[in-house]
Amino acid sequence: MPQMEDHLSRVAQDGDRQAFAELYAHFAPRIKGFLMRGGATPEEAEDLAQDTMVKVMNKAKLFDPAKASASTWIFTIARNARIDAIRKASKPSLDGEDPALMPEEAPRADVTCELKERDARIRSALGVLSADQLTVMRLHFYEDEPHSVIAEKLDLPLGTVKSRLRLAFEKIRKELGDLA
Amino acid sequence: MSTVHHHPTDETLGSFAAGRLDEARAVVIATHAALCADCARAISDFEAIGGQCLEEVEPVAMADDALEKILARAGNAASVVLRQTPDAPGPEVKLPLSAYLKGSIDDVEWKRVAPGLSQSVIEAQGYRQGVLRLLKIDPGTEMPKHSHKGNELTLILRGAYEDEIGDFGVGDLADLDGEYTHTPKAIGDEPCICLIATEAPLKFKTLVGRIAQPFIGL
Repeated sequence: MPQMEDHLSRVAQDGDRQAFAELYAHFAPRIKGFLMRGGATPEEAEDLAQDTMVKVMNKAKLFDPAKASASTWIFTIARNARIDAIRKASKPSLDGEDPALMPEEAPRADVTCELKERDARIRSALGVLSADQLTVMRLHFYEDEPHSVIAEKLDLPLGTVKSRLRLAFEKIRKELGDLA
Repeated sequence: MSTVHHHPTDETLGSFAAGRLDEARAVVIATHAALCADCARAISDFEAIGGQCLEEVEPVAMADDALEKILARAGNAASVVLRQTPDAPGPEVKLPLSAYLKGSIDDVEWKRVAPGLSQSVIEAQGYRQGVLRLLKIDPGTEMPKHSHKGNELTLILRGAYEDEIGDFGVGDLADLDGEYTHTPKAIGDEPCICLIATEAPLKFKTLVGRIAQPFIGL
């Protein structure tokens, strides 16, 4: 899907609104769907998806196509927007622009190479997971609830959920050649 | 190869990538990842799974005026300034932790909690419960035997300690679950300074530990 990366680069260059509209059409409904799948109400998901897209526009200059695909980069922005929302809800006085913890803005020279390529390989790596492992892995990303709640929803012991997840992460790292 | 020998579990790295950790543990993992290229790489991989999940999810239509609203808000983009963390002196420069400290680790105000043991609690409770603190263990000092309720992450920033698992030096991270009981002891000539995040308070196994706990405030 190289055109999404191109759109992002055009937004970064001169704030191209047409390119942004393309990004919006593809990603905004997916971010909303993602958040609703994680338990957000339609209103919360709409607000957060809008917040995320505002950040995508404003931070487009930080996007490095050599580092990640557009979908991975936008996922990290949506993830951080969700964290900001939780933070604001628990401490209304904060403005949400606290020191960022997430590595989104701190590219490291030694890990940027081949990341784009790895992004494509992650798709095939997911293919080596069993159906059970894939289910748990997806919920791990979508859901904002603790693993114990995921276990309840799947009607599985917590230990089973954790071990499936552990094996799934391990398989993926092996598949990507992270682990010797 | 890096000099880091002890790493977070994949589950912890994957939870960081998914944005599920409490703020305290997220700071520890981000700081470790800044010191450990292998873990930074694993986090990027796991974030790509998140990107893939985003592609696969069932889209839900946005409000009719959403794009207009977004463009209006983003229109004030002139105000967008990339935040720059001022460089602090010392080797811990630019670690994600720096944003949480008032100065460098040398400026930390320590509070003595037991002989040979000082700590400084760091404000990082912005979202989800967790406790973040720096602990300074003087050379030769052994911590009371304890286990944890929930997950505990310990990152070594200076010096070294040894426990039942092995030796931990700068950049090493101990990722321990509730069942695990250990007795860390600072080794070497300089105090061991650790950054520790706990989901919940420590449980001490010994009477001395339990008596000291209210004072330590762990």
